[in-house]
Amino acid sequence: MRFSLGNFIWRIVDLIIAAIFIYAGVLKALDPVQLAHDIDHYKILPWTIGVGLAFYLPWLEIFCGLALIFRLFYRGALSILTALVVVFLVATIAAKVRGLDITCGCFGHASQNWSFPAHLALDLGILAALAVLCYCSVARARANASPMPTSS
Amino acid sequence: MKFSLPRQALILAALSLLPGVGQAIYFRDKISWQSPIPPSEMVGADQAREWGDSTIWIDARPDNEFARDHVPGAILLNEDRWNELLPQFLAVWSPGKKVVVYCSAQSCDLAREVAERLRKEAQLPDVFVLEGGWEAWVKKNR
Amino acid sequence: MKTHILTLTLSFIFCLTARAELKWEQTAVELHPARGDKQAIGHYKYQNVGKTPVHFKSVHASCGCTAAQSQKDQVGPGEKGEITATFNIGDRTGTQVKTVTVETDEAANQKTVLTLKAIIPQELEISPTFVFWKQGEKPDPKSITVHAGKDFSVKHIKVTSSSPDFQTKVEETGEGQFKVDVHPNETNRLLASTLTIQSENSPKTFYATARITTAPTAPGAPAIQKAPGPLGAPAGPTAPARPPAPGSQTR
Repeated sequence: MRFSLGNFIWRIVDLIIAAIFIYAGVLKALDPVQLAHDIDHYKILPWTIGVGLAFYLPWLEIFCGLALIFRLFYRGALSILTALVVVFLVATIAAKVRGLDITCGCFGHASQNWSFPAHLALDLGILAALAVLCYCSVARARANASPMPTSS
Repeated sequence: MKFSLPRQALILAALSLLPGVGQAIYFRDKISWQSPIPPSEMVGADQAREWGDSTIWIDARPDNEFARDHVPGAILLNEDRWNELLPQFLAVWSPGKKVVVYCSAQSCDLAREVAERLRKEAQLPDVFVLEGGWEAWVKKNR
Repeated sequence: MKTHILTLTLSFIFCLTARAELKWEQTAVELHPARGDKQAIGHYKYQNVGKTPVHFKSVHASCGCTAAQSQKDQVGPGEKGEITATFNIGDRTGTQVKTVTVETDEAANQKTVLTLKAIIPQELEISPTFVFWKQGEKPDPKSITVHAGKDFSVKHIKVTSSSPDFQTKVEETGEGQFKVDVHPNETNRLLASTLTIQSENSPKTFYATARITTAPTAPGAPAIQKAPGPLGAPAGPTAPARPPAPGSQTR
C-alpha cells in the first residue's frame, strides 16, 4: 500500500478509537462486580441481565479494539462498535428526555461523575470517528475491487 | 480467507464470550446472578441456626414491623435510628460472633444496606444477610 | 446493510418513545436534601394521554423508609396528576436509591418503576465508627480517621468521650483530615464510651463507639467478673454506651 496522507490519518483515527475502546473495556473488565452494581444502580435492567452485560461488554470492546489495531475482522469490529455507540447514544438521550439521570458509564465507575453533556460529546465524537472509518473502509474496498487502468 | 461482515461480527462476538465466561466463573463467589448480594455474604436460615449462641440476629426493618414480630432475641438496627440503635447492638457484639441481618424477603434492600454499613463503617467481620429474609425464617421456624 | 442498521435504530427509538396511556413527565428524580433535612420528597407528574381512564391498582415503595401516595385512584382521559414519594432520611448517609412501583390497569404498560435518588450530604466521614479492645488486651491507642465530606470545609473538630475511662487525642493530618487516637485506661473491666464528634461550625453531631469486649472464651473456662459500668449500671454485654455525659473532652 502506497503511503498517502489519507491512509495515514485513517490509521491514526483507527488507533485512537481502538485505544479508547480498549481502555474503556479494560477499566470495566478490572471490576465487573462494581460494573454490575453500577448498571443495577439505575434500575433499568433486571439484575441478571446487568450481571451478564458486566461480564460480556468489556471484552467485546477490547476484542473489537484489538481487531481495529491489527486489521483482523476489521469491518465486523467497526459495525459492532458503531452499533454499541448508537445504542448507548439513543438510550442516553431517550433516558434523559424521560427524566432519567443516566450517565453512560462508558468508562465504568471512573466516569460516573461526568456530566450528561460530557458523555454526549464523547459519544458523538466517537460515532463521528467510526463513521469516518466506515467510509474509509468502504472506499478502500471499492478501490481494491475496481480494475487498475491499463496504459496503452 | 475472507469472511463476510456478519460473519466477522459473529466471530468477534463469540470470541468475546470466552473471557467473559471465564471471568463469570472466576468471580462466582463474589457476585450472585440472582441477587445483588454476593454468595459469601449470604447465609441460609438453617446454617444460621447451626451457629447457635454465636449468632446475633439483627432486624433491619422499620420499628413497627419489628414490634409486630421478629426473630426471638433479635436486635433492632435500622437506618432510621442508626445512631441510637447501633451502640445497643455493639454492646452485645464481641469478637467471634456472627451477625445475621434480615429484612422482609429477598427483594428488600434494608438488610443489605445495614450489613454493608456494619462492614464498612464499624468494620465488623462475619456479617451476613439472611437468605429469603424474615419470610424464610418464619417458614423454617413456625 | 445500511438499511438494516437504520431500521434497527429507528425501531429502537420508536420502542423507547412509544407511550402507554399514562405519560410521565419524569420517572426518576434526583434530590439533594440540605443538611438537617428529615425528609426528601419526590414528585412524579403524569397525564393520561389515552382515551380511557387509567386506574391505579397499587403504589408501593421498595422499603418502609419511603411512603408513596397517589393523588387519585383513577385518572380520566386528559387528566393530570402526581405521585409523591416521601423518603425519610433518618440516619442514612451517602447516595440512597429508592423505588416506587406503580401498577395500573393499562394494557400496554401495567408496571412503572419510579426512582428516587437522594444524595445526602455528609459533613464528616468517620472510619471506623467502632473501636474495641478484648478484655485483658493491652490498652494501646486505636485510631479513628475523620475527614470532611465533599463540599464541606472543616477546620477543627471536637471529640468528647461519654466515659472518663477512655482518653482521646485529636491530630490534624491534612486539610479537613483528622486522626483521633482513643485508648482506655484499662481493659480489665467491660467498659464502653460514646465518642461525640462535632465540627466547630456545625450543630450536627456524629458518633463513634469505643468498647472493651469479652474475649472469646474457651469451653469450660470460668466467666469473667464484671465490674460496674461508668454510670453505676451493670457493665457487660447488656449495657449500651450511654449518651454523652461529663467526661474527657479534647480538641
